[in-house]
Amino acid sequence: MFSRVLIANRGEIALRVLRACKELGIQTVAVHSEADADASYLRLANRKVCIGPGPATESYLRSDRIIAAAELAGADAIHPGYGFLAENAMFAEQCRDCGIEFIGPSAQAMRLLGDKAQARKLAKRARVPTVPGSDGPIEDDQKAVEVAGAVGYPVLIKAVAGGGGRGMRVAHNDAMLRGALKQARQEAENAFKDSSVYIEKYLERPRHIEVQVLGDKHGNYVHLFERECSIQRRHQKLIEESPSPVITSKLRRDLCYAAVKLARAAEYYSAGTFEFLLDHTGRHFYFIEANARIQVEHPVTELVTGVDLVAWQLRIASGEKLALDQHNIRLTGHAIECRINAEDPTRGFQPRPGRIAEFIAPGGFGVRWDSHVYAGYEIPKYYDSLIGKLIVHRMTRPEAITCMRRCLEEIHVEPVATTAAFHRRVLDHEGFREGQFDTGFVERELLK
Amino acid sequence: MDIEQVRQLVELMKEHDLTELLVRDGDRRIVLRRGASGQVVVAPPVMPAAPIVPAPAAPPTGPAAATEDPGLVPIRSPMVGTFYAAPDPDSKPYVSPGSEVGPDTVVCIIEAMKVFNEIKAEVAGTIEKVMVQNAQAVEFGQPLFMVRPRK
Repeated sequence: MFSRVLIANRGEIALRVLRACKELGIQTVAVHSEADADASYLRLANRKVCIGPGPATESYLRSDRIIAAAELAGADAIHPGYGFLAENAMFAEQCRDCGIEFIGPSAQAMRLLGDKAQARKLAKRARVPTVPGSDGPIEDDQKAVEVAGAVGYPVLIKAVAGGGGRGMRVAHNDAMLRGALKQARQEAENAFKDSSVYIEKYLERPRHIEVQVLGDKHGNYVHLFERECSIQRRHQKLIEESPSPVITSKLRRDLCYAAVKLARAAEYYSAGTFEFLLDHTGRHFYFIEANARIQVEHPVTELVTGVDLVAWQLRIASGEKLALDQHNIRLTGHAIECRINAEDPTRGFQPRPGRIAEFIAPGGFGVRWDSHVYAGYEIPKYYDSLIGKLIVHRMTRPEAITCMRRCLEEIHVEPVATTAAFHRRVLDHEGFREGQFDTGFVERELLK
Repeated sequence: MDIEQVRQLVELMKEHDLTELLVRDGDRRIVLRRGASGQVVVAPPVMPAAPIVPAPAAPPTGPAAATEDPGLVPIRSPMVGTFYAAPDPDSKPYVSPGSEVGPDTVVCIIEAMKVFNEIKAEVAGTIEKVMVQNAQAVEFGQPLFMVRPRK
């Protein structure tokens, strides 16, 4: 096991990793920007190192300063969290070249899964269903028209290097296609420095179902069941839950088996998630992309399975064998997570950084609050607006909803605007309560 | 309001032993305060609707704890690494208290991942204090030297 781990991230996920390290007896080094210099969670680290000014490009994305900090502090591994450098294959390589283990998959697996077109090819070879579409990046507009004709409109144009729901455009016919291609390429170039795009059939009213997988460096794999993540706004997840309220046991088996097949085919190790779309009939699923990192919503799976995913990342990275037997991993009860963002839902979800003057966290039976904020905390303007994750776990879905509703009333954040009240509206909606929703639900039903 | 005018105002203050002078010129305003040590400190002019532009250069923020003397400015580390006072173990340190420096004067080396970086003063003045020890690990923004700036 590592003796000292450097956490190359901030906020709630840095705190999560700090806690896991502490329980495993691992010393910790926390890097931070000047904007995060006063954050309370830094006190939990054995050592902290300032790596730059507020803007992420000058701090949390500075791989040189992060690795320098690891060397200075004598860290033998780096945990990248999610976002920032978590899926940066070059960073993973640089760490390992410097004799510092990167807590995540191999650079090769990361590259393979990070290229959406390559990932699709991998799925096809592994006989995992994929959304009908182009075999690889679209070379030119003419090819795009051919593919669209073959799979049928509407189609979705996606960035090969994309992720997080960005760099996507829908086209309903040939006339729209050319314009949409141009826009998608431009956006992809700006956001990911790679204008390559591919095409998929656009599914009407799909559900987003993802499977959590753990793999070790010895070729052992387990899945930890699925998460339903269809409650989204602009492709950003708002609410996640496990199990999915609609999938049958057979579908669950098929989905999870497909995810493990993909992980094995990619020689993936560490924690990873394989995302699928379920069509509106609820009978067919299609692989869309893989996330080669620990995810924001990982606590949902931890609560229904009792497995500490971050602790396993640390063990796997240090070379330990997965001591989890698939037969012993059970899905018990129902967990729901609400992402609490410092955004004003009444003003188009505009981010609202600023000082939290009053703060009261929710609590009680089956309640988990993963957050770095407190009364007096200054939310910086440089990073995402997530201030905490509220996760509840009860024996049944209705009880989990009741508990979450209660927590969303209990949480008190002033004077900063948050999405807590918006989450209450979702939970109160009959469609949500009955489990009848798809990825367009929020925009259709709540943001008219 | 140009530098020459400010200079004249400063002379005026010294001549008449004034401690504070406020001059308004249309929308512009300048406040000049003379410190106890006889130093004249110029407060920045207040200009309405001027956008606040963050300083692009080496880190401007950070704890002021290191400065007891408000006349001193810190040279802060622009990187994470190990501080070395001299070009090599056998040489004298680049600077020490009393050394005169200009913006391009190399004041120390910071090493990271076997790459040795020469750090420039970025300020003109005299080194008053060395804040770190040879071979000490330094973080971004950490004060390395305190300098009394030359006017």
